[in-house]
Amino acid sequence: MERSLANFIRALRMADVRVSTAETLDAFRTAEVVGWRDRTLLKDALALVLPKTHDEKEAYDACFEQFFRVEDFRTHADAAADPDGAAQDDGSATNDADGDAQGDASDAGGGGESAGQGGERRGPPAGGSPGAPGSGQDGDERSELEALVHPGELADAGSALGRMLMEGDRSALAMEIARAAREAGVEEIRVFTQKGLYTRRIMDGMGLGDLQEEISRLHRSAELPDRRLALELERRRDGLREQIRDYVERQFLLHADATGARLREELLRTVKLSNVEQRNMRHLRSIVQKMAKRLVAAHARRRRITRRGQLHVPRTIRQNLRHDGNLIDLSWKSKKIERPKVFAICDVSGSVSYYARFMLMFLYSLEEVLPKVRAFAFSSDLAEVTDLFQREDIDEAIAHTLHDYAGGSTDYGQAFSDFLRLAGDDLDHRSTVIILGDARNNYGEARTELLRRIYDRSRRVLWLNPEPELAWGGGDSEMNRYRAHVHQVAVCNSLQHLERVVSDLLRSAN
Amino acid sequence: MTAAESPALPAAAQSVEAVRAGLEAERYICSKQIATAVYLAMQLGKPVLIEGPPGVGKTELAKTSARMFDLPLIRLQCYEGLDEAKALYEWKYGKQLLYIQVLKEQLADVLDGAKGLTASIARLHEFGDVFFSEEFLEPRPLLQALRAVDGSVLLIDEIDKADQEFESLLLEMLSDFQVSIPEIGTVKAKGRQPLVFLTSNNTREISDALKRRCLHLYIPFPDPALERDIIHARVPEIPETLRRQLVAFVQELRDRDLKKIPAISETIDWARTLLLLNADALDTELVRDTLNVILKFQDDIDSVGPELHGIIDRAQRSR
Repeated sequence: MERSLANFIRALRMADVRVSTAETLDAFRTAEVVGWRDRTLLKDALALVLPKTHDEKEAYDACFEQFFRVEDFRTHADAAADPDGAAQDDGSATNDADGDAQGDASDAGGGGESAGQGGERRGPPAGGSPGAPGSGQDGDERSELEALVHPGELADAGSALGRMLMEGDRSALAMEIARAAREAGVEEIRVFTQKGLYTRRIMDGMGLGDLQEEISRLHRSAELPDRRLALELERRRDGLREQIRDYVERQFLLHADATGARLREELLRTVKLSNVEQRNMRHLRSIVQKMAKRLVAAHARRRRITRRGQLHVPRTIRQNLRHDGNLIDLSWKSKKIERPKVFAICDVSGSVSYYARFMLMFLYSLEEVLPKVRAFAFSSDLAEVTDLFQREDIDEAIAHTLHDYAGGSTDYGQAFSDFLRLAGDDLDHRSTVIILGDARNNYGEARTELLRRIYDRSRRVLWLNPEPELAWGGGDSEMNRYRAHVHQVAVCNSLQHLERVVSDLLRSAN
Repeated sequence: MTAAESPALPAAAQSVEAVRAGLEAERYICSKQIATAVYLAMQLGKPVLIEGPPGVGKTELAKTSARMFDLPLIRLQCYEGLDEAKALYEWKYGKQLLYIQVLKEQLADVLDGAKGLTASIARLHEFGDVFFSEEFLEPRPLLQALRAVDGSVLLIDEIDKADQEFESLLLEMLSDFQVSIPEIGTVKAKGRQPLVFLTSNNTREISDALKRRCLHLYIPFPDPALERDIIHARVPEIPETLRRQLVAFVQELRDRDLKKIPAISETIDWARTLLLLNADALDTELVRDTLNVILKFQDDIDSVGPELHGIIDRAQRSR
């Protein structure tokens, strides 16, 4: 049971539940306290110790249901409860499903392997007398075909794998699988499409070729026991294939899932946002949150350091004059925290809307350190969308913004004049203005003087352009004219860029 | 550690069922998970971090546990800027100062006959750290809980409102039940360890280090049956049919997109209100007049308004 708990924890980790060693120890202590008999109690109790967020609780529930089956608790609460786990570590009996059939076979096969396990295809009568004269009789009475599948005298298998299969020693077989798997390098498996490949490789490694040859040779043989053996071997070979597939599956879950996720995350961070496929969107979302969380942690700390007070000596002395100079009331120095005001102006016209989406998501995930974000969206006209974000879930707000304001041809001049009208008076020395856009103005008037006014009034103006620098200034891009009137221009088309920009922003704001 | 302590545990902590019955006797009706959490907390001596939407009885669980185990409840309300001086201990600065003033005159006697600075200081050293002793220590909730000889229930309420450093401050306290005071040394829990509850409304992610040291209990909104039992325990006078209806009504409201979803505390308040108005079944008029008890935003009231009739209808038919 202890081992199955350890395996359960491993499975949890696979399911993205973070379980530390300390928590593992807690889980064992908990299991000791509540015992193994009451399944719901065990589940409730472990749910307190292992998963620590709402998401993790859900993953935990699913895992628990899978791992600790109800039957296991009904039948033998104290015996090893997880077929999977047991099979994984030692080579003993594999899964329960064919365990029964196996049981029959090994019972019956006590004397001679020949009895085999006719059970599955033909029903159980075979379980009886091993290699008895009775079966020979049957063979005479019935058609030859039936005699073939009916247990009877079998020839001896020639190939190594065949012999092993016929011996039915499952632990030896499992060891052999493990050996072949090591040779095939199964721990290198990364994506699930490789499962078939590795199954095949392992089977080859175990000598499938010889076995196949033997089977076809046996089929051609005139001897009844030979052909019988061929059928039996085929059956066992298929069973073996299943077993190996299971094995590969488990190895995949063990090795690949975690690394796969990491790989994907790594990739998504650097890939151009517009190239991200739809199905990866929700991963992006969680990566954005992760990045935001890290930035919050880093910058919240910095902010608090400025809050650590030192004794403000002059004020303390002044305040305590009335106590005859005894310093009773102390007053502390503290630095006023200036929270940056961020104005985000996003081009949400077709080509750039993708990036706008992520920048807004990012900015609003930073609420803790950037409490005052005002968002503006434009394609031809500009409007403030801050309200949307306060009222709604980020995803919905973004969808709304794109729906309401995207479309229309981009007009930066109009957008700047609208922005000045809406927020011009609120710009001050604490304001940072971030403009996200490709500066493609459809050959409209650039109106750089308006941008200049924004520049003059605010502390920093950043321009993020999703296009590579080479494309700036080409065609209808006004980037080169605009860049003279902003503090900083940066290419920004992946999450990594975005993170860098926001991190800079936070650093300069504090 | 657990084995040594278990005999000393109160009878109410001997099994999950006992805990549940004990809580029930104090009119706190709870699911099995919650009882399991309290049971494990007592058995393992670990703090419980309770998360969940506001008004599902997180704080109440701590209070009720204190009553059930007959332990004093020490409560620490967290807020932004809470620091160790308010949570752990503080030197009684004023008292120290006052004593110094009073003792100024004594100084001459003490130093009488001492020649030179070194001798005077040596003389002073004989008195040790008088001003930094227990006498001048103002224990705050955390220290109080450690010093409670017969054990106590420590409630650290709304930990998510406090700063992140405060969490780090708690780590030593929660894993080893001790705190270090530089001038005095390490203070360990005297007698029985306090039973610690932390609550969080999830306005901020609690650090992993803290979570690791705690049992993590998530209290969701209750299912209808449980909520009916809760109302029954809290407002026993309310008629059966009305209870059924109002729970069904509130349950449906929770599925809606509201700014503030009504919690159990609101259901209880509403039940009391309806009782006061001598109602014995829901009707549109009554609900419209009392809706402000369960919905706290005008927007929410407006959004529910037009559908009131339908919801009441469904609530009445619910069995």
